[in-house]
Amino acid sequence: MALAAALAALVARDARAVVTGQIFGPGSQSFPIAVVPLKNGGGDTDGALGKAFARALSRDLDLSGYFKLVDPRTFIEDQNSGISAGEIDFVGWGALGAQELVKGTITVEGDRVTTEVRLFDVVGRKDVPEVGKKLTATRAEVPRMAHRFADQLLEYLTGERGPFDTQIALTSTRGGRGLMKEVYLWTFDRDDPVRLTNEQTLMVSPRWRPDGQALLFTSWKQHQPRLFLFDMGTRRVSRLVANNTVMQNGAWSPDGSKLLVAKEENGNTDIVLLDRSGAVIRQLTDHWAVDVSPAWAPDGQHFAFCSSRAGAPQIYVMDVNGSSPRRVSTIGNYNTSPSWSPKGDRIAYSTRAGGGFQIVVIGADGSGGKTVTSQGSNEDPSWAPDGRYLVFSTTRGGGRHLALADRDGRVQRELTRGTADDTSPAWSGRLEW
Amino acid sequence: MTTKRATFLALCVLVALGGACEKKKKAGGPGDGSGAYGEEGLPGSSLTAGQQGKNLPEDGLLKDIHFGYDSAEIESTERDRLALNVDWLKSNPRAKVELEGHCDSRGTIEYNLGLGAKRAKSVKDYLVSQGIAADRLSTISYGKELPLCQDESEACWARNRRVHGVVLQ
Repeated sequence: MALAAALAALVARDARAVVTGQIFGPGSQSFPIAVVPLKNGGGDTDGALGKAFARALSRDLDLSGYFKLVDPRTFIEDQNSGISAGEIDFVGWGALGAQELVKGTITVEGDRVTTEVRLFDVVGRKDVPEVGKKLTATRAEVPRMAHRFADQLLEYLTGERGPFDTQIALTSTRGGRGLMKEVYLWTFDRDDPVRLTNEQTLMVSPRWRPDGQALLFTSWKQHQPRLFLFDMGTRRVSRLVANNTVMQNGAWSPDGSKLLVAKEENGNTDIVLLDRSGAVIRQLTDHWAVDVSPAWAPDGQHFAFCSSRAGAPQIYVMDVNGSSPRRVSTIGNYNTSPSWSPKGDRIAYSTRAGGGFQIVVIGADGSGGKTVTSQGSNEDPSWAPDGRYLVFSTTRGGGRHLALADRDGRVQRELTRGTADDTSPAWSGRLEW
Repeated sequence: MTTKRATFLALCVLVALGGACEKKKKAGGPGDGSGAYGEEGLPGSSLTAGQQGKNLPEDGLLKDIHFGYDSAEIESTERDRLALNVDWLKSNPRAKVELEGHCDSRGTIEYNLGLGAKRAKSVKDYLVSQGIAADRLSTISYGKELPLCQDESEACWARNRRVHGVVLQ
């Protein structure tokens, strides 16, 4: 028994090494994969949910930048074909150029949906048992089941779990009220973001509470810019603190117990540490310059922020006990909007370049540094929970909308479209399942 | 049902009272810039115009004061316009003013919020230095959220880098 397990582990590691080599080998192309709509195991009228699953999964795999989706019109097996290794025409799939194949079944009973999805190694003519499990959820959660499968697939093939079973909060002028913005929510199976608030005013800088159950944002609803909370459960908006302090761009500590905010007083903005109720624990910066955009490190001990103390805005790091700030931005002479990777190793920020802005990724200690965007003007990066992908706002293709890039700038994908301004994206943590 | 409605009505009354109180307080002394206006918006402000889909106000009773890129320093080119504002404030000694700090689109949202606050404060400090009482002047920042124009040209950017004065009474 123990020997069998050890052998299985060994085989699994070998399989992974081969596949990983195919993806990351020097000069490698993106990885050809075929995603077949899930077979109806009962109750999926017209195969609609099976198709929806395949659609969401295919989009995720395309967005990841690691895959090339085989055109479904060329498929040699349809939605109703068998899903066990013995029933699959591996030679035929191989002839189509597919190196990996996804097939499965979906069973619907009332609102209860069960999927059983498998990854097949076309070259090795076998299934890959590490990816794909039986999942049961509601009908509305079918796209999430696909995102979850995509995340597992990326984990298996690249060693890092994917970022798709998550949500992205943003502010947008999509409401058609001119310059006014509301907080919106976007998930990877949507074309357009959905509106959360109806405040009919200006608002910026949404940030997730680590439990994913509330969003903090800066709003002019009560005249001066102040921090408000949107509760995802009750869908109510409330003020963070009752007093009249002018506060903006708040960020929760990773454990949710504290907040870093930019507090404005007499025209000067400084970084302040608050407890959960909004009471001041400590003023962290006290400088005539503009100090804004606090971004926590995942250790909950350090944070990055933007300060103009050197003349133009630059990115600094300090610890929450109040050490002296250390500049970490190396590329660019006008740098704003830091975001600290959830893995702790990198910081992304916006740098002014030419007529617009680009996204830079540096080591958290200020080492290295790479500009990961080049098309359009790109602002306000926010990391995915995997620390691999970034979402930001871009002017590529007109308007301002959301796009993603990976930390090396190899992958570039647009997420939302349209002529409205989609701004200040905030990538959530992983969703509870 | 009846209890629910009664509670709802009571809440409405509380909200209405709260709003009224805040407004009264503000009318009594806007000088600290932190007063709340309730949710109806400040009449004549850029935000209220934006909410109503109207053109944003520019050069009203007070002249807009303009700034260099990424700067909150008073430029010598603005002295004449500032002098006109000082004259107006001296001729209308009961008037209180809210100074709105605005930025152009070339800077990110949060940094521009901080910069807009500095611009409004610079104008306030200048007016105070010319003998205007500080408690007549409040400040607010809108960052780059309320641009007068949206084309990417130096002329448009320059117009947007402004402190606009809203006369409160």
